[in-house]
Amino acid sequence: MKRLALLLSLLLVLALLVACGGETAEPAGTEPAEQPADTSAESSEAAEEPAAEDEIVIQHWYHQYGEEGTFDAVVRYAEEYSAMTPGVRVEVNWVPGDYFAALNSALLTDEGPDVFELQTVTQDRIEAGQLEPLDDLFEGVLDDFNETAMQRVIIDGTIYGVPMIMDPQFVYYNKSMFAEAGVEPPTTMDELQAACTALDTGRVKGLYLSNDMGSTSYLLYMTTWAANSDFIEGDKVVFNTPENVQMWEKKKELVDSGCLLVGATTEWWDPGALNDGLTAMQWVGLWAMPGVVEALGEENVGVMPWPALDENATPSVWIGGWNQSVNANSPNVEAAKDYVRWLWIENPETQIDWNVGYGFHVPPRASIAAQADALKSGPAAEVLDMLAPYGKTTPVTWTGAMDSIYQDAHSEVLLNGADPAEQLAAAQEAAQSELDALLNK
Amino acid sequence: MTTHELVETAVSPPPSRSSRKRQDTIEFWLFVGPLVLGLLAFVYIPILWGFVLSFFRARNSVTPTEFVGLENYLELFGDPRFLDSLQTVIIFAIFIVPVTFALSLGLALLVNNAGVNTGLFRTIFFIPTACSYVVASLVWKTSLFNGLPSGFANNILWAINEINPIAWVNTADPPYYWLVLVTVRLWLQSGFYMIIFLAGLQEIPRSIYEAAMVDGAKPGRQTFRHITFPMLRNTSVSVILLLFIEAFQAFDEFRNILATGGSSGAQILARPPLVYLYNVAFQDQNYGRGAAGAFVIAALIMVVTVVQGRLFGFGRREHQ
Amino acid sequence: MKKRFQGNKIPTYLLLILLSIIYLIPFYIIARNALMTKQEVAQFDWLFWADSPQWANLTNLLNDPIANMKIGLKNSTIVSIFQVIGRLLISSLAGYGLARSRYKWANHVFYLILVAMMVPSAAIFVQTFLVVSYLGWVSTLTGLVVPGMFDVFSVFIFRQFFLDFPKDLEDAASVDGLGSFGTFWRVVVPNSTGVFISLGTLGLIRSWNSFLWPLVVGQSRETWTVQVVLSTFLTAQTINLPALFMGAALGILPVVAIFFIVQRYIVEGVKVTGIK
Repeated sequence: MKRLALLLSLLLVLALLVACGGETAEPAGTEPAEQPADTSAESSEAAEEPAAEDEIVIQHWYHQYGEEGTFDAVVRYAEEYSAMTPGVRVEVNWVPGDYFAALNSALLTDEGPDVFELQTVTQDRIEAGQLEPLDDLFEGVLDDFNETAMQRVIIDGTIYGVPMIMDPQFVYYNKSMFAEAGVEPPTTMDELQAACTALDTGRVKGLYLSNDMGSTSYLLYMTTWAANSDFIEGDKVVFNTPENVQMWEKKKELVDSGCLLVGATTEWWDPGALNDGLTAMQWVGLWAMPGVVEALGEENVGVMPWPALDENATPSVWIGGWNQSVNANSPNVEAAKDYVRWLWIENPETQIDWNVGYGFHVPPRASIAAQADALKSGPAAEVLDMLAPYGKTTPVTWTGAMDSIYQDAHSEVLLNGADPAEQLAAAQEAAQSELDALLNK
Repeated sequence: MTTHELVETAVSPPPSRSSRKRQDTIEFWLFVGPLVLGLLAFVYIPILWGFVLSFFRARNSVTPTEFVGLENYLELFGDPRFLDSLQTVIIFAIFIVPVTFALSLGLALLVNNAGVNTGLFRTIFFIPTACSYVVASLVWKTSLFNGLPSGFANNILWAINEINPIAWVNTADPPYYWLVLVTVRLWLQSGFYMIIFLAGLQEIPRSIYEAAMVDGAKPGRQTFRHITFPMLRNTSVSVILLLFIEAFQAFDEFRNILATGGSSGAQILARPPLVYLYNVAFQDQNYGRGAAGAFVIAALIMVVTVVQGRLFGFGRREHQ
Repeated sequence: MKKRFQGNKIPTYLLLILLSIIYLIPFYIIARNALMTKQEVAQFDWLFWADSPQWANLTNLLNDPIANMKIGLKNSTIVSIFQVIGRLLISSLAGYGLARSRYKWANHVFYLILVAMMVPSAAIFVQTFLVVSYLGWVSTLTGLVVPGMFDVFSVFIFRQFFLDFPKDLEDAASVDGLGSFGTFWRVVVPNSTGVFISLGTLGLIRSWNSFLWPLVVGQSRETWTVQVVLSTFLTAQTINLPALFMGAALGILPVVAIFFIVQRYIVEGVKVTGIK
């Protein structure tokens, strides 16, 4: 008994010491919190001051960006706005791990974020009443915004998000490896297959499409468009086309030929495999550009869109990105909208800083993009030139549920050798019933 | 065997029957009440809520509004991916339960017989329990079983017979990914169950073995079959039950090893039900179907437990 | 009783050594990766040890402004300790009540409690989160601690243990005029040190390693636990494996240390047998 009591009291003392030692002493477990959620996330001194009675606190959620300096940047923006706006304080919440698990759970409660990021505004979120219309923020500046970027935030003519950054995804390649193997940048799938095989030396593989060998949704978007196919037309799911079946067959051949890098320690979104010389080509986004240039040297960095199925199709680049939305259930909708207007519409310095100050992204506004010098030369400029002819994005009615159906079907083909035609037909049917449910049919 | 007799004689002097009963009731709830209150708030209410939700359309919302009857359940069983996940977890359980059982028992017997350094070996086998599934999955995926020659497993294979590197996680045929999934769980769990078996082994009176020796039994296989194993019966029953429940709740290593960020990827090779339901809830935000699935899994676990209880008499008090 | 090394146990001994080496490999990998550069972790060929161990990985980790390992370690310590104490208290009381009470519905209540163990917590995750949010506990350590205090597994083990508890000790206490609680506190608990220590250690490990709940409930950076901090090294744009493994090593150390201290009590504590 004595030993146990001693141990327990030691543990208690330790816990109390640790709890009191820090600046955020909180008597956990001893008393139920009376105040609603002490959700202070910022590292500024403002966090320690007790909130004034009439102060409006805006919770601003970001998914965790990996580039160095990004966190400091968003805290700086928030502090700047809080300082210039009496009665309003912006708190930043930087969400690691599974951003959407945290966001979706929080949006079910009354204490969700006031302002948050989405990759695409989707119809199901509108149905659930999560998003506030933001049309009035765009008065007079709508024409300045990139059309493809706007496509991802407009539903039935109403705007639900402000595009913050555009993230084109495409294929990087190592020019000196191409020269050594005597290979030209491929423009069709057959050329890609030939190049991949020619570049594969055993120690250096031809192409890296992540460890799932290319079933991630963003890559699937590109391959679908490069096969002259699309996802949704009106209220019909339409990705099951003969060309798309052919594209899936070609990808399966690519996998079977053994020229792909499989089982690397980093995934597609990290340029590590390309930078460390494990592969000659890799699919990543523009954000990786500074790191790739540093590792390979600017003269060695080549970029190209995903090759077309054949001469009759067009190569493609996926234009992803993040948009800022306002929670329709927020108690401070107007204050949140004012903040978003200041941050992403009125304030060119932040927008340039955010787009090219850390990793590279394309500013969604033409006037801002014109000022982003970092994107005006070298391979980054080549990427920008690819956007107009090849850039595409998915429709707002294409939801996460459809993504998982489509990815699973593709994985069945690549990993289990299922028949592409059968898989695409079944997936289209399943996706159609999701779409019907979404459109309330 | 002694317990219930003593229960009867313990209370003295017995007051009137009804007041004794009332006192029993009050005391019982004083002891068990805090637990039940907590479970009520954090487990039973969520379960009930989920049960109601499973009969409603609940997309992007957890407020039951539109009653849809059994539609969520029908959709669930109409989704081949869910049926696959059930099959996956059943195969996994059938495999992992006996293997973990055998390995843990084996380790316990070895450690128990070592004679010297018991504490050291026990510690070595138990320490993996301190590791989280997230960390272990990373070690397995990025270093032990990565697809490059820099992977530990590939390196060993090369050293043995110059076998070319294998993409362990992404090869469907032969299903190497099972080796990755099973070994990580064995490493994490076997030490814990070894400890439980060790505790059971130490309960067996030495005198039984000594008596058997006198009767001419040889130490080793004979004593194990006729003394050790039967005496471990209750321990074994508990261990099997816990292993089954844990197998059916498999989640972390499957998700962390097979899935790629933003993609299900190799997940289709082995997607246990909880991973499926996690995606239904957090990616698709279809909480109605997610809740329906939760009840199917819970029912499955309960059936297994009840069947096991019928077979082995698990969880009963001795005097019943 | 001092044991001597016996010659006929050499095969057993060799097998144990071989198995020990296998069980230690993952720890070697964690240590190796933690001291490598990013390139070395990702490289094509096998490397036994870092060319020049990167101890800077450790200092970088401790000074990382975003992924604050110090806050993480502090929060994990607080959460684990309070959770474990609460869990031990609540489950030992319940386990004793379930094992000893003559209340006629006791067994039915026990089965109902077992049901809570069979419904996977991941399956009721969202609803539990909403309850916690309703209580106003989101982004508080209270929200991280309290829901985890009600643990059926511990109740189950305590009940099995108390079923085998020598009844004569309790009887002596009741003759001395102690009530049920007095008997429990003065007689039963002091004679059950082993089970408390072993369940406490196992509980500590589980609290320390839990991830999804702290991620969703502990939203603000001030409430991140070690595991949440670790997950920041696997971000959307870059993967920092050496930092991740260094963090993992740092996160495992306290648990291993505690285990070393109490491990000899653990075997004593998990008797689920009922053999007398």
